[in-house]
Amino acid sequence: MEKSVLIVDDHPSFRASARRMLEADGYEVVGEAEGGRAALTAAERLRPDLVLLDVRLPDIDGFEVARRLLDANVRTPQIVLISSQDSIDLGEAIGASGARGFIPKSELSAGAITSLLR
Amino acid sequence: MTNLRRAQIGLAVLAFVIGIGVLLVVINGEHNTHRGAYAALSLGIGWGFIGTGLYVWRRRPGNNIGPLMTAVGFSGFLKALAFSNSSVVFTIGSLGGVLIYAFLVHLLLSFPSGQLKGPLDRLLVVVTYVNTTVVQLAAFVFTDPAKAGCAHCPANPLLINHSKAAVVINAAQMDIAIALLGAVVAVLYRRWRGSTPSQGRAYAPVLAVGSLTFMLLMTELIVEQANLSSTLADGLTLALFGSIACLPFAFLVGLLRSRFGHAEAISSLVGRLGGGEGRGALRNALAEALGDPTLQLAYWVPDRDAYVDAEGRPRRVDPAPKGKIATTIDHDGRRIAAIVHDADLAGERDLVQAVGAAAALTLENERLDAELRAHIDELRASRARIVTAGYAERRRLERDLHDGAQQRLMALGINLRLARDRIERDPRQTAELLDASLQELSEATGELRELGRGIHPAVLSDRGLDAALKGLAGRAPVPVELVQTPDDRLPSSVESAVYFVVAEALTNVARYAQAQTAKVSVVRRNGQVEVQVSDDGVGGADPEQGSGLRGLSDRVSALDGRLDLTSVAGEGTIVRARIPCG
Repeated sequence: MEKSVLIVDDHPSFRASARRMLEADGYEVVGEAEGGRAALTAAERLRPDLVLLDVRLPDIDGFEVARRLLDANVRTPQIVLISSQDSIDLGEAIGASGARGFIPKSELSAGAITSLLR
Repeated sequence: MTNLRRAQIGLAVLAFVIGIGVLLVVINGEHNTHRGAYAALSLGIGWGFIGTGLYVWRRRPGNNIGPLMTAVGFSGFLKALAFSNSSVVFTIGSLGGVLIYAFLVHLLLSFPSGQLKGPLDRLLVVVTYVNTTVVQLAAFVFTDPAKAGCAHCPANPLLINHSKAAVVINAAQMDIAIALLGAVVAVLYRRWRGSTPSQGRAYAPVLAVGSLTFMLLMTELIVEQANLSSTLADGLTLALFGSIACLPFAFLVGLLRSRFGHAEAISSLVGRLGGGEGRGALRNALAEALGDPTLQLAYWVPDRDAYVDAEGRPRRVDPAPKGKIATTIDHDGRRIAAIVHDADLAGERDLVQAVGAAAALTLENERLDAELRAHIDELRASRARIVTAGYAERRRLERDLHDGAQQRLMALGINLRLARDRIERDPRQTAELLDASLQELSEATGELRELGRGIHPAVLSDRGLDAALKGLAGRAPVPVELVQTPDDRLPSSVESAVYFVVAEALTNVARYAQAQTAKVSVVRRNGQVEVQVSDDGVGGADPEQGSGLRGLSDRVSALDGRLDLTSVAGEGTIVRARIPCG
C-alpha cells in the first residue's frame, strides 16, 4: 500500500521537486502546506502516514509543528524533519521534537526517507 | 511721524489746556478752603504725571507704565473738577475723581515691567476698578454733599434721598478701599524685599512714595469714616495731594536708577564672566544679572535650524514654556542664542538684550561648544544606527539567500538525483527533470545576481556611476530621465553612496509616489557632489517615516554629507544629497 505524504515547506519550487521525487518512488503526496498552521490543519484533515516537515517556516517553526502533531490524541503521522541547515546547527532540538529523523535538504532522496522509516 | 507720536503730542496739548481749565476751576471753587495749595497740587499731579508718563511712553513704547502714568495725570485733573461750583462739573469730578486711585494701584503693582505679576495683583486691580467706578456711582447717588460735611458744595443732581442706603454703601466702599490699600502696601513691601539689590534701588523711591500715598489715603478714609476732626481730615487730604504730586518724580528717579541698575547689572555680569568656570557659569551669571534664577539658555545650531541646550540636546524655545519668554541674542548679525526668562521681564527686554549683548562673546563660545556636543551626539546615534543597520542587512541577506537561491539549489539537487536514478529506465522523464533543473538554475543565478547588486553593484566598480545609474533607471518601473552624471570617476565611497541614494529614492518613487516620471541628476561642483532625485507624484512624504531614508542619511552623514527631503503634498518629492568630494 502506498504511503500518504504531506509536504510542508514555504518554497513552492522545493515542494514541486519533493513531490516529483516522492511520487516517482511510489509515495502518494496527499497535500502540501507552506506554513506551520496550514500544516496542522492539513494533517488533521488528510491524516497522512508521513509528514515531510521543513524546520524553518514563516509562522510556527517545524519543531513546534512536530510537537503539536505528536501531542494530538489521534493517529499520529511519522514525521521527517528537513532543513537547508546541517543537523549540527539544529542540535538537540531534532531529538527533542519526537520526529522520526532528520534529513538535510542537500541529501534528500526517496531512498533516504525509506531508510529512515525502515 | 508715527500715529503714536501724533497721539502723544495731542495728549500733551490737551493736558496743557485742561490744566489751565482745572486751575481756573480750583481757584474759583467756593467750597475750597485751600484754593492756592490745591490749585498748585492739582496742576502738579496732572502735568507731573502726564509729562513723565508721555516721556516714559515715548522711551518705552512697549511698556504700560507710560500710558498708566498719563491716565493717572488725567484722572488727577478729573478729581480736581470736584472743586467746581457748577453742579454738573462737581458731579463729574466727584464721580470720576476716585479713578485716580485705581490707576495708581494698577501703576504701582505693575512697576517697572508694566505687567501685573500674578492672580493676586490682578484681583487687587480689578476690585479697585470696580470700587472706584460701579461702587462709587452707587455710593454717590445716595450722598448729599451738605450732609456729608461740605456745606458749600453744589447740590448732587443724581441724589436719591435714602440715608440708610447712603450709610451702608459708603461704609462698604470705604471698608473695601481700606482693605485694598492695606493689601497693596503689603504686596509692594514684599516685592521690595524680594528684589535684587539693583532692582531694589530702582523700586525704592516709587514703592516708598507710593506706599506713603496709600497709607495717607487709608488714614484719611479711616478719619473720614470715624467722623474725627475735620481739620485733621483737611490736613491729611492736603498731605495726600502732596504725596501724589511727588509720585511722578519718584518714578523718574526709579527709572533713572533702573538705567543705572542696568549698567550695574552689565558691569557685574562682565566681572563674573571673566572668573566663571564650568558649563553652568554663564547661565548663573546671566540669572544673577537679570534677577531670574529660573533663567535658561538655548544655543542656536544653524545646520539644524534649531536650538540646543548646553549639553547639545534639542531644546524648544518657540513657544516658550508657560510663564516664560525667549529673547533672541544676535552677534555680528547672526543669531547665536536665546535667553529663556521669566515673563515678568517682558518690560525689561532692553535690559535682557543689553545683558545678552555684553555676554555675546562668551555665549558664542558656549554655542560652539554646545554645537559640537550636538554633533557628537548625532554622530554617536548615527554610528549606532549604522551598526544596527549592518546587522539588519546581514539578517536580510541570510533570509534572502535561504528563501531564494538556496531553496532553488536544494530543489535542483533533488531533481538531479532523481534524474541520475531514472536516466536508464526513463530517458524521457529524465529529460524533463533536467529541463526543470536548468530552469531552477537560471532562477537561482538571477536571484544571486540581484542579491549581489544589493550588496554592491559590480557595474558600479567596473564601469562607473553613469553605467550603474543607467542600469537603475532601466530597471525602474517608472520612466526615469537621467539628466546629468559626472564625466570622471569619483572616490568609490562617494560613488557607492550616490548609487544607493538614487536606488532608494527610485524605490520610494515606485512604491509610494504614484508618479508618471522621475528625474535623476548628479553634479560635481564646488568640492562636492550634488545628487537630486525628483518626481511628479503625490508628494507629502514624511522624512521621519521609514528606515530607508534614515539609513541613507546616516550613510551620507558618514561622508560629512547631508540628505534633505522636500515633499509638499501635491507637488512631488525631491531628495537631495550633498556629499563632500574634494
